[in-house]
Amino acid sequence: MQPTIIAQIVVSGSLIGLIYALIAYGFQLTYATSKSINFGQGELVMLSTLFSLSLLNWGLSYWLMLPLGMLFGIALGLFVERTAVRLALAQNSEGWILMTIILGLFFFSSAENIWGRDDHPFPSPFATDPISFLGIDITCQEITLASGVFVIMGLIELLMNKTLLGKAFAAVATDRDAAQLMGISARRIIMLSYGLSGLVSALAGILVAPITTAGPTMASTLILKAFSVAVVAGLDSGFGIVVIGMLLGALENLASFYIGSGWREVPGLVLLILALALRPAGIFGKAIVRKV
Amino acid sequence: MLIVENLHAGYSNSEVLHGVCLEVKTGSVVAIIGANGAGKSTTLRTISGLLTPTQGRVLLNGQTLHGRDAAHAARLGLAHAPEGRRVFGPLSVEDNLLLGAYRHLPALFGYKKPARPRLDTIYELFPRLKQRAAQQAGTLSGGEQQMLAIGRALMGEPSIMLLDEPSMGLAPVIVHEVFNTLRRLKAAGITLLLVEQFAKRALEVADYVYVMERGNIVVEGTPVQLQQDERVLTAYLG
Repeated sequence: MQPTIIAQIVVSGSLIGLIYALIAYGFQLTYATSKSINFGQGELVMLSTLFSLSLLNWGLSYWLMLPLGMLFGIALGLFVERTAVRLALAQNSEGWILMTIILGLFFFSSAENIWGRDDHPFPSPFATDPISFLGIDITCQEITLASGVFVIMGLIELLMNKTLLGKAFAAVATDRDAAQLMGISARRIIMLSYGLSGLVSALAGILVAPITTAGPTMASTLILKAFSVAVVAGLDSGFGIVVIGMLLGALENLASFYIGSGWREVPGLVLLILALALRPAGIFGKAIVRKV
Repeated sequence: MLIVENLHAGYSNSEVLHGVCLEVKTGSVVAIIGANGAGKSTTLRTISGLLTPTQGRVLLNGQTLHGRDAAHAARLGLAHAPEGRRVFGPLSVEDNLLLGAYRHLPALFGYKKPARPRLDTIYELFPRLKQRAAQQAGTLSGGEQQMLAIGRALMGEPSIMLLDEPSMGLAPVIVHEVFNTLRRLKAAGITLLLVEQFAKRALEVADYVYVMERGNIVVEGTPVQLQQDERVLTAYLG
């Protein structure tokens, strides 16, 4: 067992783990403001990716496609909020669970009808030749993937922690009525969180598609992993999600290499069960200090 | 000036307010007193838009508040420090205050500088909040949270402030301190609609008082008039 091989497996696994983390971050964004998540998030990832692929096929350059794809993701996020979430939240019901699942199915069928059932290769402008660093091979594509994830999450965390709007997000998350009394429109904040969630989903799809190919089912396993990451890390901490995402990606790769490829899904499930049993709020879940 | 006309409101099919009428003139302190469950808090919640009235009108300086949400009322200059204080527990004291001035400050960057004079005014009124500026609001004592709730409401330089049971759950010493603050605010000319169970204390600061019973205003008048009213004396001031 050579250390460089282990390192290689860990590094390439944790890079894919970053995509789990980015999708999980999309869950976190909407959960924070409205305690609701889009159970059709995977279809958002998939639809945005296929849309972006079409843009490329129409001859748009990668750098023009990227912002348009993300805009499409934002639009889809807003659409989900408007059609599946807003009414349920206004009635204090959990109807958004079923509604977002239904909307996801609808997105899935639309994608099959528009783009067909096949998987398509997703071109990338970055070289796939590996760059060797301390005996570990990393491709340009993987570097782009990692930097894309870190840049977008960094920007959103900056928005959340350094701006007054970010504090308004936190206020809506803590006490919607009290936030309204400050003149903060909770509806607009929730819309914004769904828009951002759509944006990160689209970016996750565009970044991962050159590795996984693009097709209607491309996100079905990704979304389960992302969900595990969100549950294990807790829905409070962006940092926690990155750590757990990379850990899960690395563990999966190690399991499939050393035990067998059929064991690939096991670490995620084990982590999930352990987290639910030992720390349901998530490993990085915040405990609020309260005094009466 | 706040005008409330024939306000009806309630929670899921059971009506709590049966036609409340009241008026708060600019620069005056008006108190609503009454027993538990009389509809005092519901009146405030309906005025600020947390609750939608089924009938009636709410006008603030000539602008309609009824039928719109609470954020709208806040943007028109109505501040409501709700029952139970409702500070943002996980946020710092200073962040709570900053959010109180949300409608006046830039939403992204550069909000700290324009907020400074407002913060200084509040810290002068409540020096304790300055000491605890960086602390999580949820870790404050009840009295400090009440001060924060009042300070947060004042940050927006409201044209009227609704204050719901500021003495609830506080030690007598702290209640005294809170009412001293209200007197200072009154001297500074703030318009205040106060809901209070401690009728005596409310009568000490108010210019005009409404007495509520089972969702209706049953008696109204100046504190002097109420102190001569036999019924009010036995029921609330005995």
